[in-house]
Amino acid sequence: MSPITRTWLAFAAIGAGLVHLALVISSPAPFAVVLVGLGIAEFGWGVLTFARANLPAPRLVRVVAIVPLLAWSLLAVAAGVFHTPWLVTSLPLMPMAVAGLFELFAAAAISVHLRRSPGVVRPAPGSARYLAALMGGAVVVGLMTAPALAGTESGRHAQPHGSHDATFAPASSVHPGH
Amino acid sequence: MSKSPNRMLAVIFGAGYLLVGLLGFTVTSGVSFFATSGGRLLGLFEVNVFHNVAHLLIGAALLIAGVSNILASRIMNATIGAAYLLLGIAGLFLVGSEFNILAINSADNVLHFASAVVLLAVGIGADKVVKRPTAANH
Repeated sequence: MSPITRTWLAFAAIGAGLVHLALVISSPAPFAVVLVGLGIAEFGWGVLTFARANLPAPRLVRVVAIVPLLAWSLLAVAAGVFHTPWLVTSLPLMPMAVAGLFELFAAAAISVHLRRSPGVVRPAPGSARYLAALMGGAVVVGLMTAPALAGTESGRHAQPHGSHDATFAPASSVHPGH
Repeated sequence: MSKSPNRMLAVIFGAGYLLVGLLGFTVTSGVSFFATSGGRLLGLFEVNVFHNVAHLLIGAALLIAGVSNILASRIMNATIGAAYLLLGIAGLFLVGSEFNILAINSADNVLHFASAVVLLAVGIGADKVVKRPTAANH
């Protein structure tokens, strides 16, 4: 796998982990237990992906990345069938969707890697290209993760942005929900 | 240097932070060394004299590591990235307090977190196979 793709995978895993951990405090206990485990696993796998030369446990991770999306879909179906809307409403749509996008990206990238050349180490890209791709990936994941975190209960309890220093936020801006 | 992301990043960030440190002095005339409220660089990033000195030291450390060798660059990028991560977290609690001896504001926190992500990602993620510094590395 290209070092650039591995970097994006690591950022995506860390982003998904952060979002899942932020969802814990507003979730019912059984969901919270699963989200803690999932969040820690995703965050840890992301850090390991940066630190190690090879992708850690790619076949297992490809499956684990899809399971939360399948479980969320089953919950939505169950909520409709059994008239229990809390099954879905206890997991906010936007943060779950963003985490789901990260998971889909991870599953797709790992699948392509396993299908093409699981044992082949590709030549390292040029430094400038690697750094530009890394920064681009960090910006995209940051831009997706920040609003997802703001949409969680943890985000609603965070200090309103701009209140640290009024002049940092545009004077005329109005932030719904703050 | 162009073959090592760590050396390239250390040189770019080092030069950038040196420049920021020097420019900081243009907005901190009359600001005391540890003032909790300082001048605004680019009208956004709040700095005092201590903050400027910190930028100069960080910039110099990164630049020296970047022009030296890959191993030094990796260690320096990861170390300063970790330090920026801690400072970013601490900054969330320091803003507006009497202990804010770096005159940190919200914009500074964003910049510190961004620097931490890039420096840590490259420091622990790139140039994994590193030989001991040799003459060819210098």
